[in-house]
Amino acid sequence: MANPVTPAKATRQTTVRKPARRIRGWDNRMAFFTLIPSLILLGVFVYGFIAWSGYVSLTNWNSLIPTLTWAGLRNYATIFSSFRFQSDLRNLVVFTVLFIAGDLVIGMILALLVDQKIRAEGLFRSIFIYPMAISMVVTGVIWSWILNPTTGINLFFHALGFTHVPEWFLSSRFAPSVHLGQIDIGIPVGLLAVVIAAVWQMSGFAMAVYLGGLRSVPEELKEAARIDGAGPWRTFWSVILPQLKGTTATIVVIQAAASLKVFGLIYAMTGSGQDFSTDMPNLNMFQTTFQGDAFAQGAAIAIVLLLLMAAFTVPYVLSMLRGER
Amino acid sequence: MAGVRLSHVTRRFGNVVAVDDVNLEINDREFLVLLGPSGCGKTTTLRMIAGLEELSEGNIYIGDHDVSQLPPKDRDIAMVFQNYALYPHMTVYENMAFGLKLHKTPKDEIDKRVKEAAEILGLAPFLKRRPKELSGGQRQRVALGRAIVREPKVFLMDEPLSNLDAKLRTQTRVELKRLHQRLGATIVYVTHDQTEAMTMGTRIVVMKDGVVQQVDTPEGIYRRPVNQFVATFVGTPPMNLISATLTSEQGRFVAQVAGQKVALPEFLTPGLKSMTAEAMTLGIRPENIQLLAESDVPAGHLPVAGVVRVIEPLGHEQMVYCQVGDNTVVVRMDNTWRGQVDDNVVLAMESDALNAFDPVTERSLLTHETPMLA
Amino acid sequence: MAARRVNQTLIYLVLIIASILYLLPVYVVLVTSLKSNAAVSLAHMWNLPAHPGLSSIRAAWAQLSQNFGNSFYLAIPATLLSSALGAINGYALSKWRFRGANALFFVILMGLFIPYQSVLIPLLRVMDTIGLYNSIPGLIIVHTVYGIPITTLIFRNFYANIPDDVLEAAKIDGTGYWGIFRYVILPLSVSGFVVSAIWQFTQIWNNFLFAVSLTNPPNQPVTVALVNIAGSQTIQWNVQMASALLVSIPTLVVYIVLGKYFVRGLLAGAVKG
Repeated sequence: MANPVTPAKATRQTTVRKPARRIRGWDNRMAFFTLIPSLILLGVFVYGFIAWSGYVSLTNWNSLIPTLTWAGLRNYATIFSSFRFQSDLRNLVVFTVLFIAGDLVIGMILALLVDQKIRAEGLFRSIFIYPMAISMVVTGVIWSWILNPTTGINLFFHALGFTHVPEWFLSSRFAPSVHLGQIDIGIPVGLLAVVIAAVWQMSGFAMAVYLGGLRSVPEELKEAARIDGAGPWRTFWSVILPQLKGTTATIVVIQAAASLKVFGLIYAMTGSGQDFSTDMPNLNMFQTTFQGDAFAQGAAIAIVLLLLMAAFTVPYVLSMLRGER
Repeated sequence: MAGVRLSHVTRRFGNVVAVDDVNLEINDREFLVLLGPSGCGKTTTLRMIAGLEELSEGNIYIGDHDVSQLPPKDRDIAMVFQNYALYPHMTVYENMAFGLKLHKTPKDEIDKRVKEAAEILGLAPFLKRRPKELSGGQRQRVALGRAIVREPKVFLMDEPLSNLDAKLRTQTRVELKRLHQRLGATIVYVTHDQTEAMTMGTRIVVMKDGVVQQVDTPEGIYRRPVNQFVATFVGTPPMNLISATLTSEQGRFVAQVAGQKVALPEFLTPGLKSMTAEAMTLGIRPENIQLLAESDVPAGHLPVAGVVRVIEPLGHEQMVYCQVGDNTVVVRMDNTWRGQVDDNVVLAMESDALNAFDPVTERSLLTHETPMLA
Repeated sequence: MAARRVNQTLIYLVLIIASILYLLPVYVVLVTSLKSNAAVSLAHMWNLPAHPGLSSIRAAWAQLSQNFGNSFYLAIPATLLSSALGAINGYALSKWRFRGANALFFVILMGLFIPYQSVLIPLLRVMDTIGLYNSIPGLIIVHTVYGIPITTLIFRNFYANIPDDVLEAAKIDGTGYWGIFRYVILPLSVSGFVVSAIWQFTQIWNNFLFAVSLTNPPNQPVTVALVNIAGSQTIQWNVQMASALLVSIPTLVVYIVLGKYFVRGLLAGAVKG
């Protein structure tokens, strides 16, 4: 018990302190080094190519001969004033809104049904998700058969006595039809067929995400609502749905990104349609570039698409990463 | 086996100083316990010894080697983690053998050591099982076994008992102590549990906010805390702190507690001389006070009058909370004592067990020459 | 209690109707592809085949078999390569804290959210220049690279669930960056690889844009071949449906056998790590 009262700080030695180096530095640097191959690949294939596309969109390369002379924003002016691209933007908005709305509603209904402690839950879940495992191209081919105006679903309508059956994707009508400049503003009826096929394919995703969300709502919260006298509907609207705000936002972002990427489905199902009533920017870009050889205009379309995509995915990814910390 | 020396060890995370200029000498074969509340820097200190955490400043020596810049594998240490950190895909045997295999120990030597350790720890029947198939106590022993087979210079243990239930914890405590004696190992042990610290440590380091408060034997920490933090952090219930006014009468120091004079013992005099202000704090442990009749106060005890406010029976003893002026003073009495709430009582404090603190700095006023206890 | 039973019945009824609607295309594909060329009529599309036979499927196979080979030759190496890179990246990003790790993860992850049209023109030029245009190896490279973001995300989230102290125990046991990867991380990665591989296989197999942009006959994957069959002058619905069926079989088999892991891949982009 020699020195029971020794303040620890009293014995400062007078050795020269050398700054400590980072002992874990090597392994951490190794972690960084291992990322380099991927970073180079993505640096070239994603960021480099985007920059390249951006450059092409500002040149006069609109034939098979790469004329890389400066054109400024002329290609953007051209596409934005074209009937086809204006139609594309209308179609993109209509498609995205209907597709996401359909996904959210159907996905939520399916998730609620599956969440009722039912038997064979796994089987039902599998049935609603399996279209996700199928190629968009396959979906397009199959649904162009099912929604073929002269057969398919329409046979049922005929059997039920309807004489005016829908023309599905062959329709060139707009509802409503409002002329604005050179295009009709309204819902291109032909596009509805594509929305149906897309919702069939993708609603399983919304269901799976909602199901996860529903299951993470604490049981006590529902019990508390029940004790407070809320019925099932009241509980859903006032307690569960507000809890699923983040889940819904996630689905909206992911599905909007998917809708901006839709290509194979349109390509295989309808193509551009009459008067571009089912055309999409993606298809326009592909055909402008590789069939029309207007590379600079194609690049301009692609850059517009990219900016649209970035507008909502960048905030989403940033908030997702911030939420981790 | 070897000793460990920490010299000016500091760890900063951004602007936060997690460990502040720690100097420690850990002797060979010592069971040193780092004790403190959560966030006091004890785990960070241990992880710096292990090499899992970088030093912002200072040096760490194991034996005579400066290991400050070495990775964990070159420090010749073994560690037992709070959550055991067993490799889920390996059997008990493989878990224990893994470190030896990496150090290229011959196969039969590995086999020998693993089986020995398994024997000591009672793990022999489970060598082929995976961690998932073991109970918490068994997993804990595998983690110990993984450290033992390495025969390291130093064992580092990070709250290894905190995930066990109370009964198993008591039992393992005893086993660990026996193991320490048997292996003659140097152990650095982190805990927030003072019972573990008191029962197992040969010495205890009490830390708070990254700063070492006191390094001493369990007895020293308990009886002569260097400041009010240590006095109240160690012990349940904690040491009583009684505010008093210091006066001097005929060269002797007298404390006024709620208007009552307490003639302070001689050994406090050197420390009290340095006091310039009048206010002081007396410290005394609940078991160093007895509730007696005024006439019965024996020699070496200092009486103060108080009133009983709460009685907490604990079976074998009772805690009696008395009011002395503005202070609440806890007294530990055995279960034969009979008293009532609102009784007027005399608290007889053992004068040798008295501690004194400066209420401003909260430091102890005892000096190096202060006796432990009569 | 009676109300509850009615409710239950209603739930099952709705679920079954929904299931029928979701499975409708399967029915259509099956009945149509089991009909022979002559038996397909627009008026009797929903009828079961009177004389089920494999002639349509055989005809489809004759046109698709080579493309099947292409698709496997493409999807398997690209799946393995992108999963391996994802595992290495995910390990580095989830288990090691180095300056700028989060920024680099962001840079990698954004590759998941680009419309591929925005890289298509340079991609074609580069592939042409290095002589890999119109070749399966070229497509393998493309799918490997553009698969890196999702596989990195999958593995990063997967490895986040392995406790850090297990890695620290390995460090103390005497191993470093690659030793921990080899002895601790990899043995625990099996289900991570299953998730990543299933997802990548499905995506690559089903992809159309890169396939149609970068290959010509006879080097095209099945998706392009299917569209070619569907777009040919004489519309043979039975052969189209048989082709659609054949194209879907590999991914559907994977889904039926390992659906749980497929859903985890599906949710990877939506669920935080």
